Amino acid sequence: MNGALAVARYTLLELSRRRILLVFFIIGVVGVAVVGIGLKIFSVVSPVNFSVSGPPGSAPPDPAKVDRFLELIFVSTLINVVGFFALLVAFAIGMTAIYHDLESGAAVGIFSKPVSRLAFTAGKVLAAIVAMVVLVGLVGLEARLAMFLFGGGLEGALWVETVAAVANAVLLMLIVLALSTWMNNIVAAVIAFIYNAVAGVVVALHAQLAGGQLGDNAIVKAVLDVSYWLVPHELMSDAARQIAKAQFDVIPTSEGSPTVDQVMAGIPGASSLTDIIWWVFLVGLMALLVYVAVRRRQV
Amino acid sequence: MAAVVSVDALRKRYRRRDPWAVDGVTFALEPGQAFGLLGPNGSGKTSVVKMIAGLLRPNEGTISLFGSDPGDPAARAQLGFAPEDPDFPKFLRAREVLDYFASLLGLDDEERRRRIPETLAFAGLDQEKRQVRQFSKGMKQRLGIAQAILGRPKLLILDEPTADLDPLGRRDVRALIESLKESGVAVLLNSHLLSEVELVCDTVAILAKGRVLKEGTMAEVVPEGRTLEEVFVELVEASTPKRDQLPSFITDRDKP
Repeated sequence: MNGALAVARYTLLELSRRRILLVFFIIGVVGVAVVGIGLKIFSVVSPVNFSVSGPPGSAPPDPAKVDRFLELIFVSTLINVVGFFALLVAFAIGMTAIYHDLESGAAVGIFSKPVSRLAFTAGKVLAAIVAMVVLVGLVGLEARLAMFLFGGGLEGALWVETVAAVANAVLLMLIVLALSTWMNNIVAAVIAFIYNAVAGVVVALHAQLAGGQLGDNAIVKAVLDVSYWLVPHELMSDAARQIAKAQFDVIPTSEGSPTVDQVMAGIPGASSLTDIIWWVFLVGLMALLVYVAVRRRQV
Repeated sequence: MAAVVSVDALRKRYRRRDPWAVDGVTFALEPGQAFGLLGPNGSGKTSVVKMIAGLLRPNEGTISLFGSDPGDPAARAQLGFAPEDPDFPKFLRAREVLDYFASLLGLDDEERRRRIPETLAFAGLDQEKRQVRQFSKGMKQRLGIAQAILGRPKLLILDEPTADLDPLGRRDVRALIESLKESGVAVLLNSHLLSEVELVCDTVAILAKGRVLKEGTMAEVVPEGRTLEEVFVELVEASTPKRDQLPSFITDRDKP
């Protein structure tokens, strides 16, 4: 236990001195500030750009609904910024936390000490997760503060999305950590990036299949059902649906256009308990893979 | 006297198709003994010491480190290992590296406060404030030796400890080995510097192509009137194909 905590402590100290993490943190902080302050200034200076209108002859939109719509757009943008930042941090930590010790030869000194590979792995994973939570948490907090500019009401969605962003990024980071113990860290990052993108496509297609938008071809259904349980399911709140619904509330639909229910069916809803259990399983599996890779590694 | 480390019929190869890097090496080391492991480049010296330190797994043979398998962390509690070409977490400072390793060794706060400044002073790094990534090779080598003695080991393995050191550093390492030997610490020294080995080691083994060519006390290995270097060259050249002569573009200076 002491060995794991020592590894975690000094890994965190090292991570805090890595310039790449500092640069990514600045990108996250500036990104949220630009989105928060910039969008507010823009909406005040040029309100016309945010006006929405329905079909000819329809009543002008309710100002309260327009405000709500703007806030939803704002929250949606912030969520994207926080999610993107979390991915950057996942790659930055995943590519360096263990790989550099193994490649530089630092692991030779560490592993010759009375510390088990399990304790080393536990310390590295603990430090990586703490660093991720702290960095994304700080940017999420900044986003929360920026939300004061637009009033309130959707803080819950932002927090849930921030937690989901951390959870998704932790899983990706563990994949990069595990791969980078076996191979070059850049190759590991590229593979993890492609896998993550493929997972996103599979999950989106599966959601469309569930919504009945891909027809009922048995082969397509079987392939997507199997693929769905081979990839991580990105955790999310129902913010995307709230935003779409608010859009329908503000913009009256014309005849022949899709109904609210039809559009909603194609948008993934909040993650279910099954998705969360799947995430826990995958995090455990990836942490185990990191350990196996570290244990097998000869230095 | 119980052996600190004993190695029996050790064999190691890195890939199935590779030749054996270590092939049937056997020796034992007792407290207070200094053992020199000699051999040309690629003879398997570093592979042997890395297996003793639990960093590599042997394919065949056994290693007993303080009566246990080196893979057991507890067995490594009394081991100090200064690797060849040492490196450390590069964003840490020398003091932080030693504090990190002291934590891994399980030293309490009081012991750390006592040992770390003294060890840093011994290594000549007590005034050094830069991070490891800014260290020269010699400074890393000194830090490598410092972390190896920090836990007050009963077995100290030094793999080419003086390769990047200046003459003063080499003198300090020799004095360290002598002092440790007197206090009952066993020392396993890998070195190309045969004169150095001759000065500090009681027993030696000469390796080539992973095999032990000759082993024994210094008197047994080096007959009177000869030097260790002469014996080493003779044994190694007899076991390996003679190396090519100097390149012709060096020797034929008159030709264009």
